[in-house]
Amino acid sequence: MKKLNILALLIFVAGLVAVFTFDTATTRQIQSRVLSLLSPFIHSSAAMEQAAESAVAPQINPVEMKRENDEQRVQLERLRIIQQKYNQIIEENAKLRQLIEFKQSAPFKMTAAKVIRRSSTTWWNSLIIDKGSLDGIGTDSPVITSVGLVGKTSTLAPHMAKVILLTDEMCRVSAKIEGTLEQGILGGERAALEVRPELHLRFLHRNSNINAGAGVYSSGEGGVFPADLLLGRVKRFENREISGEAVIEPAVDFSTLDYVFVIEMQAAEPTPEPAATPARAKP
Amino acid sequence: MLFHPISIILLLLTFMVQEFIPGLEIAQFATLFLPAVFFFSASVAAPFSMMLLLAFITGFLWDARHLPGVLESLSGAEDVFGTGADVELGAGSHPLPFGLSIVLFGMLGTLLQGIRPLFKRGRLELPVLMVGLAVFVWLISQYLIITFLRGSLQFPAGVWSKMITDSLLAMLAAPLIFLLLYSLARLSSYEIKYEGLRYRFDGR
Repeated sequence: MKKLNILALLIFVAGLVAVFTFDTATTRQIQSRVLSLLSPFIHSSAAMEQAAESAVAPQINPVEMKRENDEQRVQLERLRIIQQKYNQIIEENAKLRQLIEFKQSAPFKMTAAKVIRRSSTTWWNSLIIDKGSLDGIGTDSPVITSVGLVGKTSTLAPHMAKVILLTDEMCRVSAKIEGTLEQGILGGERAALEVRPELHLRFLHRNSNINAGAGVYSSGEGGVFPADLLLGRVKRFENREISGEAVIEPAVDFSTLDYVFVIEMQAAEPTPEPAATPARAKP
Repeated sequence: MLFHPISIILLLLTFMVQEFIPGLEIAQFATLFLPAVFFFSASVAAPFSMMLLLAFITGFLWDARHLPGVLESLSGAEDVFGTGADVELGAGSHPLPFGLSIVLFGMLGTLLQGIRPLFKRGRLELPVLMVGLAVFVWLISQYLIITFLRGSLQFPAGVWSKMITDSLLAMLAAPLIFLLLYSLARLSSYEIKYEGLRYRFDGR
């Protein structure tokens, strides 16, 4: 072996050791810098994808569009009335809580974000949104839609963030089943990169009486995800060697995501602001 | 020697181009991993020291861009009863360590150096096949390491279809990259192809 090659190998190994000794903060900073460096290209590719989709999409009928617009106006008015009533109930609730000195749960702030694109990587289920650290988003923040939980934020750039989807094995949620006392850990399957893969709710009691179609909600035990976010519905229940396992169909269709909300938990205040949650709450 | 700096610039460009390559929904979002394919192709054309440098850059940038965010330390949130207090923060999900891709690229690049003499003679069949195989080995190594870290060996059909599609796409792109490298070598007077002792007539 040539001397130059031996020297190159030694430098390579030294560099490798240095990389393996990076701490979490350094690694996150590097990932954030690389994501922000590549962000113009990610934006351009998303714009190109959209342009291509709109070129292929059928022409919009103005009559149909007007009809849809009218329907949405009616819907908006209805929602405004509901919101008004909701705010009144929240106020009333806050007063009653004060009367009985009930411990107020932490309110949360929501940031709307547009889904830029789905990432095509080796084994990870993720997507990229157009809000980042400068928009007030933090790492490991829950990401939701009006239907239910989507996932949690991971790497952050100033105006971009990577979201690990609920279907990824790395995103796990402490969950409960509607109408039962059963609680478990919900997680995706390894390398399940299909559009809508099944989820698994593990560590349930064996021979539990769980009906197909029952809703699965976040329990809020872990502190990362707020309680009562819809995660999915039970497809079937299976008895394993030690515990029971429910196979869950995710509530969210991950292939049609346009806009999502990033939740930021805030410190509890004495007089809470009425906060509207778009996620479907447990009935 | 312009060939080496230009290969590094091209490698950096592949990371930008990668953002424009969509995934195939029908094959578990399989895609052409351009930086990896470029590295494997260049590692056949470049000398050992240059291959190591390219492996370092490719692995480092790949992990920085594509590895899920590294988990925060769990600040003593030990949850032995499984109520989810530490699980939601990622305890037990074991992500791949940052820098692992550098090791994988370095090892596979060293293996590909073995077919360099064939490539120098201008034969592309085996190098193209080897680039596809290297992509397959890279993906399966990652998958096996994840399995080793998290336990429960499982190989759903989708895993195979993704790996095979990724490898086939790599084999489709490899000849184009080899031709690009040949042209680059010709332009920068770098000798990739060994043409033997040829008589050159200069017109005098």
